[in-house]
Amino acid sequence: MVNEQKKVMMEVKNIKLRFGGVVAIQNVSFDIQEGEIRAIIGPNGAGKSSMLNVINGFYHPQEGEIWFNGEKRPSMEPYEVAKTGIARTFQNIALFKGMTTIENVMTGRQLKMHKNFFWQLLRYGPAIEEEVQHRKRCEEIIDFLEINNIRKTPVGSLPYGLQKRVELARALAMEPELLLLDEPMAGMNVEEKQDMSRFIVDVNEEFGTTIALIEHDMGVVMDLADRVVVLNYGELLADGTPKEVQADQAVIDAYLGVPH
Amino acid sequence: MDFLTYLLTGIFLTPFAEMIEMPDLFFQALWDGFVSGTLYGLIALGFVLIFKASGVFNFAQPILVVLAALALISFYKMGIPAWLSVVCVLIMFYALAWLIERLILRKLVNTDGNILFMSTVALSFIIIGAAQWIFGGRPSSMIHKELGFPTGSLEWPMFGGGVYFEMLDISAAVVAVLLILTLGLFFSRTKIGRGLRAVADDPQAALSVGISLNQIWVIVWFVAGVVALVTGIFWGARSDVSFALQIIGFKALPVLIIGGFTSVPGAIVGGLMIGLGEKIFEIYWGPLLGSGVEGWFAYVIALGFLLFKPQGLFGDKIIERV
Amino acid sequence: MYFRETGQFKSKYKEELAAFPIFEDKIGIAIAAIIAFILIPLFGLPGLSYEFTISAVMIPVVIFTITTLGLNILLGFAGQISLGTAAFMGVGAYSCYKIMTIFPDLNALICVVLSGVVTAFVGTIFGLPSLRIKGFYLMVATLAAQFFLEWAFIRIPWLYNYNISGAIEVPYKEMFGIVLTGAKSEPLTRYFVCLAFLVVLTWLASNVIRGRIGRSWMMIRDMDIAAELIGVRPLTAKLSAFAFSSFYIGISGALMVFFWLGAAEVESFDINHSFTYLFMVIIGGLGSITGSYFGAILVWVVPVILKEYGKSVFGIDAFIMENFTTILLGVVMLTILIVEPHGLARIWQIAKQKLRLWPFPY
Repeated sequence: MVNEQKKVMMEVKNIKLRFGGVVAIQNVSFDIQEGEIRAIIGPNGAGKSSMLNVINGFYHPQEGEIWFNGEKRPSMEPYEVAKTGIARTFQNIALFKGMTTIENVMTGRQLKMHKNFFWQLLRYGPAIEEEVQHRKRCEEIIDFLEINNIRKTPVGSLPYGLQKRVELARALAMEPELLLLDEPMAGMNVEEKQDMSRFIVDVNEEFGTTIALIEHDMGVVMDLADRVVVLNYGELLADGTPKEVQADQAVIDAYLGVPH
Repeated sequence: MDFLTYLLTGIFLTPFAEMIEMPDLFFQALWDGFVSGTLYGLIALGFVLIFKASGVFNFAQPILVVLAALALISFYKMGIPAWLSVVCVLIMFYALAWLIERLILRKLVNTDGNILFMSTVALSFIIIGAAQWIFGGRPSSMIHKELGFPTGSLEWPMFGGGVYFEMLDISAAVVAVLLILTLGLFFSRTKIGRGLRAVADDPQAALSVGISLNQIWVIVWFVAGVVALVTGIFWGARSDVSFALQIIGFKALPVLIIGGFTSVPGAIVGGLMIGLGEKIFEIYWGPLLGSGVEGWFAYVIALGFLLFKPQGLFGDKIIERV
Repeated sequence: MYFRETGQFKSKYKEELAAFPIFEDKIGIAIAAIIAFILIPLFGLPGLSYEFTISAVMIPVVIFTITTLGLNILLGFAGQISLGTAAFMGVGAYSCYKIMTIFPDLNALICVVLSGVVTAFVGTIFGLPSLRIKGFYLMVATLAAQFFLEWAFIRIPWLYNYNISGAIEVPYKEMFGIVLTGAKSEPLTRYFVCLAFLVVLTWLASNVIRGRIGRSWMMIRDMDIAAELIGVRPLTAKLSAFAFSSFYIGISGALMVFFWLGAAEVESFDINHSFTYLFMVIIGGLGSITGSYFGAILVWVVPVILKEYGKSVFGIDAFIMENFTTILLGVVMLTILIVEPHGLARIWQIAKQKLRLWPFPY
């Protein structure tokens, strides 16, 4: 394995997250290395989405540290986290329903656009140049994900699989260093899953984007992921390559149950 | 410097000195505040019931109060005996509830709360236009005497002065409390009440266990009408009956914020807080600001709640999920 | 309205990002402009007296379109509900009055713009609760603004220069020798001033909403959590929407008093007016600039013309017509909510879509 030489991009240390009396995450630590595809798996309610929300800055853990690119990250609001180069998609699609596909993808460029209010008012000169330049980039991403034909369709009327793809496009438009995917293949048929897997691998290889994804389909996880984290009831159950995790007795127990 | 001293004494000294010097006035203010508080609570209850049962934030509630009062007076003027007029108004409200359900709500099933809310605003325009057309725009006086509510006042001497209890206010408070209790029992103990809460939770699930959505809605709107009628009678008796009565309906909104949108006890406690608070603030701190503060005091308090305790005193906690 | 957009290819993104990418739209706009700028000022509207057309129909409808645009920016584009519109117009009117009193030599148009700036500031302050709350809760917060401001307009005599009447009295102002405001001004002059404001403000609004800032508003409207995770700061987005929207509403308030009514009291800024503006936005179409025009025209012009015809042609009492139009407004609003909640603009869009495919819809 070449993992040893790779740089660690993100490290979460001893994260503990409580909602009132309910403990969502208990003392979980793992790392994400640059350029890898990292899967987070576990039964329902294991704290996977909560973990992503912690990385995103949407939840603030009571204890624990997050290190990103070698620096300890202070407590941040989600929009600040976005600025550090972390993008994400959602389990229940969170597209901007009132906009078309291209507009949704353009929203991903929001942080890269800087022209001030007065140029925006006039929409002339630098403001329009900027708009055109980012539009070009978005069109490239749209081409990449093969959604050209729905460019001007309002996203609300798109089928589920395509919506997921638009959401991926939007996240890619942010040109993130780290991409978090929350169940990118939930509710898809086999063909759609294959497409989506192909895109994820392509993104990882062509753009060099580091990816952390939550997924329930074990086949997909085993094929895609370089390394896997297993959570159960908010605790870390196993961490390793797909093969190691598959063979781990604790993981098998958690998924299949233990005979009483 | 002088101004500052004036301000500080005005805020921290004078009002309390006045309270101690003239306790009878203070008690009078408390009592007046209490009575308007019960009425605010009652009308807020009208909102809460509809909100709980159909998820509709019924903006037409204030205009229903005006409609009830105007209709009652008109029926009486047509020569119908007072109590029979009340029955007529109730029949009218039942018909109205049925119409609203048939013509509006049924067509808006499964649309989101904002649209339902807007439709009640539109409804209130229709009612305003129609009520003005039919009943005319001139203020008239309430027929509470004819309805048999006692008039005059009780005087309770104390601290060298005296506190006046208007008989009408006493009956208002009594009727309001009785109505609140009845409604509370009705919605928590009866089959219809259970159905109502089921509909509020999930209309489709409620349908699937055999609850008639349409029937529930008619009942809820009818109850809102009853609440409007009671408020209309007593508030109309305290002032004139005119379209200005709407304002009291709007007062229910801050009450809801304070009590929480879904809580029956919240509506009552919130109503009392607003009623007492604005009376006392108006009398003791109002002069400092140039009086007339009753108009916005409630809203500013509500604003404070919104910023620091958005779910209100008794509301369900709002949790956001990704 | 029979046209095809087929064959109009764009070879540059810049062309596609233009305000009216389709040729026929440009013609439509030109026709509307000719009607508003030339035909109506020359001939008025059929069946109505010229004076009445300009002062009671056209000037107010232009002003209300600005109001509707402003409220639509807030409600339709940024998704933040406000019931304080009328009060914010009051802020515009009273601040314009104060600015004119303090700087008597300042150009009237600059005063109007400055009053918009003041209103933007006030609007931002009252927009602060939107950072914590949304929906009905925010609505109640804006109601607080409405009632508090109404109270302030009565109880702070400084605002109306201690006039005994408690009303704003419009001073005499001129520019390049033309009388702009005050009793001696020509209605037509005032109409053109308002129209000029409308054109410029529409252009600016359409620019902003298509750019970065407008997108951040729509992101907050559609899915605030996702917007935040993409890097939109809710504070900036929401408050800028409140400020921008209040700027428009303030300008329309100043125009209303100084270029239309000529004097104003608190009643011009009460809650019922707030509802009327809300209706204009909803009937016209949330999140649509064209819709703002439709809404203002339908809600203002139709009742006024009905009332006028009712009186002159059928001899119906004004009181009855008044109530009739109130009911009509409610019914139209309900119908739109039931049939097409996105308003007239959406109905227009669907009609265009159908026409485009006609006569072969499949």
